[in-house]
Amino acid sequence: MTSRYPAIAPDILALFAARNAATVDVPVLQPADPFLDMAGEDLRRRIFLTESETGAALCLRPEFTIPVCLDHIASQAGTPRRYSYLGEVFRQRREGGNEFFQAGIEDLGDKDTASADARSIADAHALLSLALSGVPLTVTLGDQSVFEAVLAALGLPRGWRMRLARAFGSAEQLAAALADLANPPKNGALPEAVATLVADGDQERLAEHIAADMADAGLSATAGRTPQEIARRLVEKAELRSVRLSSEAFSALETFLAIDVPLNEAAAALEQFAKSAGVSLGSALANFSARVDAVEAEGLPLASIRYDAAFGRPLDYYTGLVFEISAGDGARPLAGGGRYDRLLTLLGAKSPIPGVGFSVWLDRIETMRGGKA
Amino acid sequence: MTITLAIPSKGRLKDQSLEILAKAGLPVSLPSDDRKYRARIEGRDDIEIAFLSASEISGEIGQGTVDLGITGEDLLRENVADWESKAAIEVRLGFGPADVVVAVPESWLDVDTMADLDDVAAEFRQRHGRRLRIATKYWRLTQQFFSQLHGIQVYRIVESLGATEGAPAAGSADVIVDITTTGSTLRANRLKILSDGVILRSQACLVRALRTRSPAGEALAGSVAAQIAQTLRG
Repeated sequence: MTSRYPAIAPDILALFAARNAATVDVPVLQPADPFLDMAGEDLRRRIFLTESETGAALCLRPEFTIPVCLDHIASQAGTPRRYSYLGEVFRQRREGGNEFFQAGIEDLGDKDTASADARSIADAHALLSLALSGVPLTVTLGDQSVFEAVLAALGLPRGWRMRLARAFGSAEQLAAALADLANPPKNGALPEAVATLVADGDQERLAEHIAADMADAGLSATAGRTPQEIARRLVEKAELRSVRLSSEAFSALETFLAIDVPLNEAAAALEQFAKSAGVSLGSALANFSARVDAVEAEGLPLASIRYDAAFGRPLDYYTGLVFEISAGDGARPLAGGGRYDRLLTLLGAKSPIPGVGFSVWLDRIETMRGGKA
Repeated sequence: MTITLAIPSKGRLKDQSLEILAKAGLPVSLPSDDRKYRARIEGRDDIEIAFLSASEISGEIGQGTVDLGITGEDLLRENVADWESKAAIEVRLGFGPADVVVAVPESWLDVDTMADLDDVAAEFRQRHGRRLRIATKYWRLTQQFFSQLHGIQVYRIVESLGATEGAPAAGSADVIVDITTTGSTLRANRLKILSDGVILRSQACLVRALRTRSPAGEALAGSVAAQIAQTLRG
């Protein structure tokens, strides 16, 4: 182990071994497309991009989850499997260095999601407790799937549910989406023939009309958005315009998003919410409760874990649990993680592989330990 | 003490720049050989004129290698990272209008606003196995507008170095971000501008580089800028 590694590195590797997570080594130089596809174009200005001689876009790895998952897919390894990593990541940052260490575990293919979720939180908690012994840790936990279940239970139309689910975790975007829903903007004027078809909800003839339009403009009907897709959304949008978010549903959403309780009280709080809103959260609530039990079985102190119903992490690929761990004062998270059940399929896995994992900012930990960052 | 003023080397932007300078009492004596890229202003040995492409001018301003320049606001904002710390727009010159806009195929009857495009982008991957593609040569402006202003994350930019309006029909992109003045090229390509899709209303500007100069140089750059600005106000 070279000296540029943090002093704590050997201890972390021992912890990974003790927790049955085999270390995986992924190349520093990675294809850039998977990162830009998953995290979005905004990532482009925060990573180090380069190009191969043949013009392929490459980057220095900005994180580990995607490379570890790609490596897993390529190796055709069986599941369940736990991978651990400790190494440098590279990002363009205004503050702090551009290369810094991260460590974490990706837990792939365990069908028992409640216990895999709990284990991931426990893994991260154990790592931080080891590195920062005596420092009180605060875990904040959120759940994308509970939010989506609430949206469905409130009977919101599909288009709205999608929009709100995307805004989850960003107070600003959620407020903007809710404002739009309270007062949906009008579509621009449609040609009369189209307007009639929309009013009749005649998707088939609308699609024919759009197909003729596209052919006339030289647009392929299959390479991008299809006439059927456009017709369907046009009708859906017209229907949404006549619906208003009821004040009951609006206030129920606000009540839900305000839930912020210790984890040992969370299931009861959700039940209480469901009862007062007159909705059933079904399997989402059952899964949530099972996870709480599993977290308790891992021996984690439930009272120091907060469930914040509005808490999400700004990455498109999380599907369920999301969490962050910070030191008592909680300024910046020291670890972050979550469940990403769609990611491996998006990255090219032939069959769905559930996954959950976390990453720890070793540079922040080193700073707290008084070493150099 | 001399300062460098960079002006566009060809086309209408060049003519209109020369016109404004003449009006401001700073007539450029063109070199007899028009392949020469340096010129002077009669009676003003303290100003050197450099002819460069408008795009190069924004870059040179960002680097601080020229003191003043006439270029498009779109180019300044696109080509110079964190431009406000490196350059100041002294005056907008009233010519060279160009709107940087988001345009989608006219046949996308359901897409009228950026919020619509957000919906479409979010479901695109699931439907088509790839992200929504935006053709543009304005990477920075597009990212700022989509990601930072409208919170749209899931799209891909494909670089387009010319005939961007043709990208949707060519199948290389779904949507474009490009400049337009009258909209006629967009219409000819059966594209429409989103109702809230104007990213920037750009025009030619006199721009000053914010590098450190001697007090004399600073005063000179300031007075030349003021002299040109005065013409437009007068």
